[in-house]
Amino acid sequence: MKEMLNLAFKLALICAVAAAALAQVDGFTREPIRQAEARAQREAVEAVLPAFARLATDTLRAGLADQAIYFTGSDSVQAVGTAFTAVSGLGYSGEIEVMVGLDTNGRVNGVRILRHAETPGLGANYAAADVLDAFYKGKGPGDDWKVTKDGGQVDAITGATVTGRAICDAIEKGLDQWSSDRGSAGGSK
Amino acid sequence: MSYSQTFSRGLWKDNPIFRLLLGLCPTLAVTTSVENGLGMGLASTFVLLCSNTIVSLLRNFIPKKVRIPAYIVVIASFVTIVDLVMHAYFFELHKSLGLFIPLIVVNCIILGRAEAFASRNTVGLSVVDGLGMGLGFTLGLAVLGGVREIFGAGTLLGFPVFGDGYPPALVMILPPGAFLTLGLLLAGMNKLEEKRAIRAGEAYRPPREMDCGSCVLCNLGENLRDMEDSPRAAAKKEESPAPE
Repeated sequence: MKEMLNLAFKLALICAVAAAALAQVDGFTREPIRQAEARAQREAVEAVLPAFARLATDTLRAGLADQAIYFTGSDSVQAVGTAFTAVSGLGYSGEIEVMVGLDTNGRVNGVRILRHAETPGLGANYAAADVLDAFYKGKGPGDDWKVTKDGGQVDAITGATVTGRAICDAIEKGLDQWSSDRGSAGGSK
Repeated sequence: MSYSQTFSRGLWKDNPIFRLLLGLCPTLAVTTSVENGLGMGLASTFVLLCSNTIVSLLRNFIPKKVRIPAYIVVIASFVTIVDLVMHAYFFELHKSLGLFIPLIVVNCIILGRAEAFASRNTVGLSVVDGLGMGLGFTLGLAVLGGVREIFGAGTLLGFPVFGDGYPPALVMILPPGAFLTLGLLLAGMNKLEEKRAIRAGEAYRPPREMDCGSCVLCNLGENLRDMEDSPRAAAKKEESPAPE
């Protein structure tokens, strides 16, 4: 009994010291982590929108559980475009999350991949900026968001059609969401 | 054992990857480029260094019966610290290593060194051992990552090495490339060691983990005693050449 208490006490002591140390580290890394995340998001928004001076975030459906966040960039006079994130579960290996930027006409101005686990050298090649611009820039909500292999109008990388499909799926879902959110927000005003 | 011997042992003679074959999960998974290999190696080195130090300091305090949970708490704490610090200050690297950082906790090298070395040696020696083993691990990951990046992507540290005409051999940065590269490197290591042994006039024995003769897989199902007594084992014993 005495030995058991001794074991438990010593193990508890080690855990307590470890917990205290972790609390300290968590304390001084929390803010830098938040900043790093915010910086990464900001960089993605800057990459998909035309040059802007101010950035506003808006949920359009504040209070709903599945609300999407919309980033609206404006120059000194008016809005120059809106960006939002969209996710597809159709990736070759897990989910793909993209940041989509639209110009004021509702056409895609830029797309960046935020999160993916695609095969390096194949699906992961979509992450390159020039590839994304060549494939998706200038297309809009009315277009047929299917890869050419499925009879659509969107190019895909040879050997990585699945990833291409998933990105189209994400963008299309995001566009639909945005259209309906904007419609309902406009209607209620 | 002297400090310099303890240090250099991790680099070559007992190199965690090439000689002990420990920690192969991160080894095979993250070495798609030199940068990833170095990042993973240095993160592991830091954890190994810290855990060796603490375990050695506490070697008379930790009761033998709960030593494994105690070591795991120490190791997991340092891994969490690395994870948080990397997330805060090396955001891109943290993103590309992702899941494998928390998995350092279950890297056998770290628990192995705590149990086999730090728990029975002085703090000074344990620090040197952690440093040597960690750098040996980093070196192994960087070499693997280098070979795979050169052939699989045509770049080294992100800079092109072959020019535009080189079609990257994709298989090298996919999982099979990790096994192919590791196998070839191990064979190379064995060849070098064999040559060195012959020059020195000794008989060369590959490390037990790399010697087919001591592989248990072929004898799965038989228990240990059967293995010793089985006709196959006996035949193997006779076959094995006498040391030259």
